[in-house]
Amino acid sequence: MTKMKMNRRMLLGTGIAASAMTLATPGLLRASSFPDRNMKVYIPTREGGGADRNFRAFSSVWKTKLGVDFEPGFYPGASGRVGYEIYMGKAEPDAYNLIFGNMGPEVLNWAVQAPSFDVEDYFYFGRVDTDPGCAFVGAESSLQSIEDIIAEGKKRTLTVGTSRMAHPASIGILALGEATGASFNLIPLSGGKNTVAGAVTGEVDFSVLTSGSVIAAGDSVKTVLVFGENKVGEALDNAQNINDAFDLDLPEMLSSRAFGIHKAAADNHPDRFEKLVETFNATFEDPALMESYVAANGTPEYLNNGGVEECAQFVKDMLELGNRYKPLLTGA
Amino acid sequence: MGETASLLATVFLETISFWWVIIPTIFLGLIVGGIPGFSAANTIIILMPLTLAMDLQTGLIFMVSLYCAARMGAGIPAILVNIPGTAGAAATPLDGYPMTKQGRGQQALAISFVASSLGGLLTTMIALAAMPILARVGFYMHSVEMIVVMLFGISLIASIAAQDMLKGLIAGFSGLMLGAIGTDVVYATPRGTMGFLELYDGVPLIPALVGLFAVSEAFIIIEKRVILTKQGQKAMENPSWAATFEGVKDALSRWTHIGWTSVIGLVIGVIPGAGASIASFVAYQQSRTFSKTPEKYGTGHIEGLVAPESANNGVTSGTLVPLLVLGIPGGATAAIMLVVMQYHGVSFGPSLFQQEPEVGYGMFMAMAVSYLLMILTIIPLSRYMSRVTTVPTIYLAPMIISFTLVGAFVPREYMFDMYLALAFGVIGYIARRTGYHVAAILIGVILGPLLETYFLRALKKSEGDMMVLFSSTLGNILWVALVVSLVLPAVLDWRRKKRELLSS
Repeated sequence: MTKMKMNRRMLLGTGIAASAMTLATPGLLRASSFPDRNMKVYIPTREGGGADRNFRAFSSVWKTKLGVDFEPGFYPGASGRVGYEIYMGKAEPDAYNLIFGNMGPEVLNWAVQAPSFDVEDYFYFGRVDTDPGCAFVGAESSLQSIEDIIAEGKKRTLTVGTSRMAHPASIGILALGEATGASFNLIPLSGGKNTVAGAVTGEVDFSVLTSGSVIAAGDSVKTVLVFGENKVGEALDNAQNINDAFDLDLPEMLSSRAFGIHKAAADNHPDRFEKLVETFNATFEDPALMESYVAANGTPEYLNNGGVEECAQFVKDMLELGNRYKPLLTGA
Repeated sequence: MGETASLLATVFLETISFWWVIIPTIFLGLIVGGIPGFSAANTIIILMPLTLAMDLQTGLIFMVSLYCAARMGAGIPAILVNIPGTAGAAATPLDGYPMTKQGRGQQALAISFVASSLGGLLTTMIALAAMPILARVGFYMHSVEMIVVMLFGISLIASIAAQDMLKGLIAGFSGLMLGAIGTDVVYATPRGTMGFLELYDGVPLIPALVGLFAVSEAFIIIEKRVILTKQGQKAMENPSWAATFEGVKDALSRWTHIGWTSVIGLVIGVIPGAGASIASFVAYQQSRTFSKTPEKYGTGHIEGLVAPESANNGVTSGTLVPLLVLGIPGGATAAIMLVVMQYHGVSFGPSLFQQEPEVGYGMFMAMAVSYLLMILTIIPLSRYMSRVTTVPTIYLAPMIISFTLVGAFVPREYMFDMYLALAFGVIGYIARRTGYHVAAILIGVILGPLLETYFLRALKKSEGDMMVLFSSTLGNILWVALVVSLVLPAVLDWRRKKRELLSS
């Protein structure tokens, strides 16, 4: 057996390799045991709203698949823009930081006003629900049907509450105005709760919003039109689909809540991303999700699993819609 | 009627039996309310897993007690060390802190506790009895009317400016300009954010609040090395039950004042979107307007402390009315309650009192019982709490700065907010040293964005027609009341001076 001699160069080389291994070990172990700490989720709206309710219902089941908890952080402001800017600008792209947004209104923002980051630098990978927008009146309103609204809107400009200008439901009502000749003036009321309150208290003639939030508002309001398929019937007062009621061919004006991630995180940590996708899909297969969703006063008919491709298509459609209606949404 | 009375009695007795939940929650609420940056809303969020695990009644009682106690707790540091725990307590230090500096901190705390508890209790009873009527307030108070309500609060700047018109108006105008920073409410276009993302949602209130009041106060303490006068120091070092009873007596003798200022809070509280900060400034302004001694406000005047404290506790019961009757939460805490209650399968709105009356009445009863128990448990503590001011300033000033900077960080978890609080501290310090009133700046920062929101909304509704401001009957009545409340003190002052001149 030949005796191996260790010279200075070999000693240094071995030392460096050993140090590198030692330093890299925790990282390697962490990668193999992802996740080893709680997930942080950026939510670009206020606590207590529809996104909060939806997030808690979904994450309460997802956490059992992933083995760690989800910690929400609420970053409202500027129609959701603040949350995205903070997520893209400050959150580490390590797959531990996710964003839970509404692909409808929040993506419309980018068409109306470009953000400071490249919109290609993040993508949605897990759609939780799709929820059509709707038009509704307060229970005590003198306008009790869409026919009343159209007739009145031909006589005078009606004020329409909306949670934000760039919202699919806002586009829905503007499209209806274009098709019928009725005149509508959108009034942004900052959030779903205020939009419901605006219609109930008569601050505006009627409001438009995602239908899930309108269902949650109970019998204080009455839905008169849905900007898509009415999958829930009586819960939305059997209101008609806009296309059926007015013989139109508009795309569905949907809100769609989904989890998003930095592109860099998915590219640099494919194993982590894969685990997120796998557990996300497993959550949808668990009957506990439906229970949790119903318990949170969600609308089970709107639960709708979608992956990267479905989300990308949705985003593309929204950007096209936003570009088409940009002058009306920006007051330009 | 008989059925409702019997139901109310049953719910009351049941709620009392939950004293073991209410009393610890009161202390928790006092702590979270007293720490700037914490509030009932974010505490309920943090404790949400616990709240969801509780049964419906226990969860409901826990949340309501926490809400009431946090509101009261926010006044404690405002009085003792000039740090309002929340924006709702921003008007409390105007007269509370001068009382402390005079060595009457113990009395000030007792006054605050009595005014808060009685104001809260009274408005809870009124809300319970007049819920259907109160729920209608939101149907009449729209953007135009709210513009006038905001102006009632903002007109306080003019009162402050009365001491030095130019400096007061400059301070108020600076506050309004600072309040205009952020994205506009219609098209979300950023204005004056200087590229800081953290300012997109406007100037955050807590850093502005603690910076202008507390950090600048700490700088003054470092400079002067004292908080209390020599006499005050002596009084605070030897606290006595007599001082507590004196405070209780002072507050009770002003029961009518507590009554009407808490009703201001109740009425503002039932308007969705309005809140305790508006109510406390409006109540303070009204209290000063109708006072026979308006010149004493800001110098440690008892009525100047009673008004904001009873008003902000009146808001607490007010916010529950639209939540329960219309299903619309009146404020952030009510919104969180809505989420928790929906988890328990409770549907709010007009049908609540038909389907689950015990839940609706139960929330008000929990509030009433909490206020009752607060009177018994908190007032005796004023004797011990007031000793905070006797801590040597060498320790107190750094404690105030570190404590408030953490408070500035907590609501949004941005380091930026800590730097912002320091920046506001420097602005506040310079303002104080040069005779500008920090309260005038703060009123602008707090009420300015709200005024702008209602103003832009009204203009958007009218498609730019300014005459919309005078388009509603109630709005016009409020305009007249505003003009009267601005002119009346000047007229009374003129008459008083004339009388004095004649008699001399």
